[in-house]
Amino acid sequence: MSTGAALTIVLGVALTTYSMRASVIVALADRTMPAIVERALGNVGPAVLAALTVSLAAGSADGGAASLAFAEAAALIAAAGVAWWRKNMIHTLAGGMLTLLVLAAIF
Amino acid sequence: MLAGTGRVHRIDRRGVRDAIPLFLPVIPFGFVVGLAITESELPVAIGWASSPLIFAGAAQLAVVSLAGTASLWAVVVAGFVINTRHVMYSAAMSPVFRAQPRWMRWAGPFLLIDQVFALASLRTDLETAEFRRYYFTVGGFMFIGWQIVTSVGMVVGPVVPDSWRFDFAVPIMFMGLVLLAVNRAPAAVAAIVGGLVSLAAVSLQDRLGILIGAAAGVVAGAITESVLERRTVIVPA
Repeated sequence: MSTGAALTIVLGVALTTYSMRASVIVALADRTMPAIVERALGNVGPAVLAALTVSLAAGSADGGAASLAFAEAAALIAAAGVAWWRKNMIHTLAGGMLTLLVLAAIF
Repeated sequence: MLAGTGRVHRIDRRGVRDAIPLFLPVIPFGFVVGLAITESELPVAIGWASSPLIFAGAAQLAVVSLAGTASLWAVVVAGFVINTRHVMYSAAMSPVFRAQPRWMRWAGPFLLIDQVFALASLRTDLETAEFRRYYFTVGGFMFIGWQIVTSVGMVVGPVVPDSWRFDFAVPIMFMGLVLLAVNRAPAAVAAIVGGLVSLAAVSLQDRLGILIGAAAGVVAGAITESVLERRTVIVPA
């Protein structure tokens, strides 16, 4: 990847990230957002993170059919269970990785 | 601190005390991001610079993971979409920031990550200068800590054997984030639909399935929201 393209990506995301954090504070300080917009924004995080998880786990950049080994699928399910149960990212990572390594060694 | 003068001289110990427990779960995530940078298509220096410039874990992880494997605009849009929730943080904090000096309204939002929002929103009753000191202590702690853990991840990353499968730590961390982000039924529907549609569209080039899945999830969440609302109106508690 060229330096120019890499810089464009990083600076582009940095700028949009800051813009979103500052948008209401700086520009719309005296107005409130419609309730329906606030509620819709609340669903964006879960939706995009789930889509990203699936794409990174089962997809590839050049397309092609989805592929996920048994151990990897089990690791994701274990991570989801631990995250739901413990609400803790350290435990989630440990649970998911441990499941992956154990099952990969067995099968 | 000189209370009431708007000048800030010292670190707020209460801010450090509050930030530490919230930072601990960030450590493995930062480590994974550091590892991902070393395996990214981004030049190493630019990958490293993404930590202080973007300062948003999930978006940064998406950028370094997708760069070079998806089209340029798809990476930027993915980062944009992941951070959309920050508009809500901005909206929620705007009444507190209204009383702050102009420079604070411009500089403060840079540090408005999930953890800083969570802590600062509990301290909105603080006096203006006191809130500013608390906010910058928590935000500064998170910012410096993030630079350290991602840098450590970059150093350790290349010597970690492939058999340890740290490459798969990225989707595992995202899976954890999904579960932590789901706090209501519409959010759960948004996540499930987003994941399933993304899976159905996984064969599309440039990881377009992410954007399609995310859009489908948001629509499904909004529909669920309105259905639940209608039920509440029809069957009052």
